[in-house]
Amino acid sequence: MTSYYNPYTNLNFIEVIGLFFKRLFTGSLTLESLASDEIQLLVLIFISASAAMVGTFLYLRKEVMLANAFSHTILIGIVGVYLFAGEEVMQTGLLPVRSMFVASVFTGVGTAFLVELLARYVRLQEDASIGLVFTTLFAAGVILLTLLTKNTHIGTAIVMGNVDGLQLSDLKLAFWIFILNLVLITLFFKEFKITTFDPAFASILGFSTLFYNYLMMTEVSITAVGAFRAVGVLMVIALIVGPPFIARLFVDRLKPLLLLSVGIGLLASLSGVALSRHLLTTLGTPYSTGGLVVTLIALFSLLSALFAPKRGLLRRHSS
Amino acid sequence: MMHYFTDPLLRAPTIASMLICLTTALIGVLVFLRKESLLGESLSHATYPGVGLGLLFSSLFISSESSFMSVFVLLFAGVTSLFALFCIRVLQKRLRVPADASLGLVLALFFGIGVTIASRMQFTHTTLYRQGQLYLYGQTATMTDEHILIYAVLLLVVALTVFLFYKELLTLTMDPQFADTIGMKTSLLNGIVAFLTVGAIIIGIRSVGVVLVSAMLIAPAASARALTQSFKQMLLIASLLGALAALIGTILSLELSYTLYALFPEEKPSIPAGPMIVLVSGGISLLCFAFSPTTGLVTRAIRSFKFRTKRREENCLKAIWKKGGTVKTSDLIDFGTHRQIFRVMRLLKREGWVKPLGHGEYKLTSDGTKRAKHIVRLHRLWELYLVEYLGIGKERVHCSAAEIEHILTPDVERQLNTLLHNPKLDPHHQPIPSGDLL
Repeated sequence: MTSYYNPYTNLNFIEVIGLFFKRLFTGSLTLESLASDEIQLLVLIFISASAAMVGTFLYLRKEVMLANAFSHTILIGIVGVYLFAGEEVMQTGLLPVRSMFVASVFTGVGTAFLVELLARYVRLQEDASIGLVFTTLFAAGVILLTLLTKNTHIGTAIVMGNVDGLQLSDLKLAFWIFILNLVLITLFFKEFKITTFDPAFASILGFSTLFYNYLMMTEVSITAVGAFRAVGVLMVIALIVGPPFIARLFVDRLKPLLLLSVGIGLLASLSGVALSRHLLTTLGTPYSTGGLVVTLIALFSLLSALFAPKRGLLRRHSS
Repeated sequence: MMHYFTDPLLRAPTIASMLICLTTALIGVLVFLRKESLLGESLSHATYPGVGLGLLFSSLFISSESSFMSVFVLLFAGVTSLFALFCIRVLQKRLRVPADASLGLVLALFFGIGVTIASRMQFTHTTLYRQGQLYLYGQTATMTDEHILIYAVLLLVVALTVFLFYKELLTLTMDPQFADTIGMKTSLLNGIVAFLTVGAIIIGIRSVGVVLVSAMLIAPAASARALTQSFKQMLLIASLLGALAALIGTILSLELSYTLYALFPEEKPSIPAGPMIVLVSGGISLLCFAFSPTTGLVTRAIRSFKFRTKRREENCLKAIWKKGGTVKTSDLIDFGTHRQIFRVMRLLKREGWVKPLGHGEYKLTSDGTKRAKHIVRLHRLWELYLVEYLGIGKERVHCSAAEIEHILTPDVERQLNTLLHNPKLDPHHQPIPSGDLL
C-alpha cells in the first residue's frame, strides 16, 4: 500500500493542481505510489466523467428522477452483497467489485420493474410510484445495513459519501466503470442518439428502444454504485445532472454537449479536491470533498444560468 | 403499550412523531393529487443546508441544550426550502429546463451545499454537527414535552389553513382551470399550497428526516387513495394512517435499538426512527394496495375467483338440465378439470341444487331445475334482445349470451322482459322458460 508520506501536505490550490500534473506527466504516478489525494482525485475524475456521459443522455431523455430512484435503491443491492459476502467484508467494509456490479444491475432493473408494477396494477400515478418505491426500499436498506453492520454512522456515510475512506480498490472499480461507460457510449452512440431524440423513428428503423433504455438504466445503476462510496447516493445526482445542465446552456449539438459535460465534470472534481486540500492547508479545517465538488457545480450552474450568452437570465433580450 | 403515552421519557417521541406525521400526511394528500410527489423529494433535501445554518445561527445566542433551537432550525430549513422552490420555478419557466432535471439538479446541489456546511461544523461545532445529523434520518428519542407543544401548534396552523381554504383547495386540486375561470385567486392559493408543502416538510424532518420525509408525503396519501374516492375522506384517512405509521415506527425503532444495545453494548448501535416509520408506512401502503375493497389486488383476485366459480356452477347446472337432469361427472369435463368439477358439485350439493346418486352420478333437485331454467331464460332473453333490437345475426349471438347470462341482474331481466313483451321463443325457436321461477 501507499507510504504515509503525502506530497500534498500543506499545499495551496494552485500548487496541488501543479503537482498533480507534474507527477502525471513525469510518470511518477504509479499505482503503488499514489497519495490519498490522488486516489480521491482519480476516483472523482472517473466517476464524474462516467456520470456526465450517462447524465447527458438522461438529461435529454428527461429521466433524471429515475436516476434519483436508482441511486437510492442501490442500497438494497449493497445490503445483498453484505449478506452474501460474509464476515470478511463486514469487517473491512470493502465490497468485492464483481458482486457490486451484479447487485447494481439487479437493483436497477428491479426498481424499474417495481415502479412499472405499481403504476400498472395498482394504477398509481407514475411520480408517486417512483417516490414510494425508492423511499421504502431505501428505508429498508438503511435499517438492514444498520442491523448487519451494527454501525450507527453507516446511514450518514451512505448519503454523504466518504472520500477520505477511498482505497485502491475503489479506484479500480471507478476505472472499470469509466471504461465500461466509455465503450458502451462510443459503441452505441448512434443508437443512443436516435432512441433519445426520436424513439418512434428509431423503432421504425428496427432499433429496440426498450433494449437501449434498459442498457442506459443499467449504466446509470452501475455508475451510481461506483459513486456511492465517494460522494454518496444523493450527490451523484449532482454529478449526473449538473454538467449536462451547464453544458446545455452553451451548446446545442450532442457531441459538443457530451464533451463539454465531461469537461465540466472533470474541472469540478479537480478543483474540488484541490480546494479541499487548500482549505485544509490555509484554515486547518477539513471539508467534505464530495460536498465541495457539488458546491462548485452549484456555483458553476449559478454563474452559467446568469451569464450564458444565449440562454442566461441576464442576456440581452434582442435574440 | 400504554406506557408509550404516559412515561415522561417515551411520551414525547411518540406523541410528537404522531403529530408530525399526521401533518405531513395531511399535506401529502394535496401534493399527491397535484402530481407533485417528486417536488416534495427535492424540497425536503433542500432543507439540509438550512438545518446547518439554523443550528449555527441559533448557537450564537441560545445554549445548544434549549429545545427552541429547533424553532430556528425549522425557520432556516423553511427558508432554504422555499428558495429551492423558487430556483425550480426559475429553471423550469425562465431557462426551459425539463421538470425532472430541474428537480434533480436542485435536490442534489442544495444537498451538496448542506453536506459541505455539515462537514465544516463537524470540526468546529461538534455538538451542533451531531444535532444536525439527527435531522438526516430523524431522531425521536431526544424529544421533550416542549417539542410536543411546538409541533401541536404547527399542526394546528396547518390543519386550520386546510380547513379554512377547504373549498378553494379542493377546486384548485381537482380542476385548476375551473378555479381560474370562476375567478379564484389561483396564484395566491398556489402560494398557500407551496407554503403548506414546505411547512409539512420542515415539520417532518425532525421525525422522519431530510432524506425520507418525502415518503411521508406520498405513502399515506397513496394508501388513502386506494381506499376512497372522496377528497375529504382521503384527508382523514391519510392523516390517520400517517399517525399510525409514526406510532408503530417509533415504538419499533425504540424497541429494536434497546434490543441491539443489550446485545452489542460496546458499539452503541441504534436504529434511526425515520427509516422505520417510512418502512411501516410503506408496509401499510402495500396492505392497502392489496386489500382495498374496490381496487385491491387481492380483493380483485378473490372477486374474480368467485365469479369464475359462479360461472362454472351455472354452466354445470345448465349442462345437467340439458342432459335431462342426471349426469356423470365425467360428462362435465368441458367445464374444468376433474378437481374443479368435483368442487363445483360439492358446492351445488351444499346449495341443495343437486343430489348425489353415488358412482359419480348426480341428479338435479327441483330447486336446481328452477335455477338452471332461470339461467337458460337469461341466455335466451339476451339472444332475442340482440337479434330484435341490435340487428345482430342470430348465428352470432350465442357467445355473447353465454357470457352475460352470469352477469344479468333481476332488474335487467325484468326490463328485458317488458321490452320484448314477455316473449315465449328465442331466435332459434327454443322456448324461453317463464319468469316466475325464483
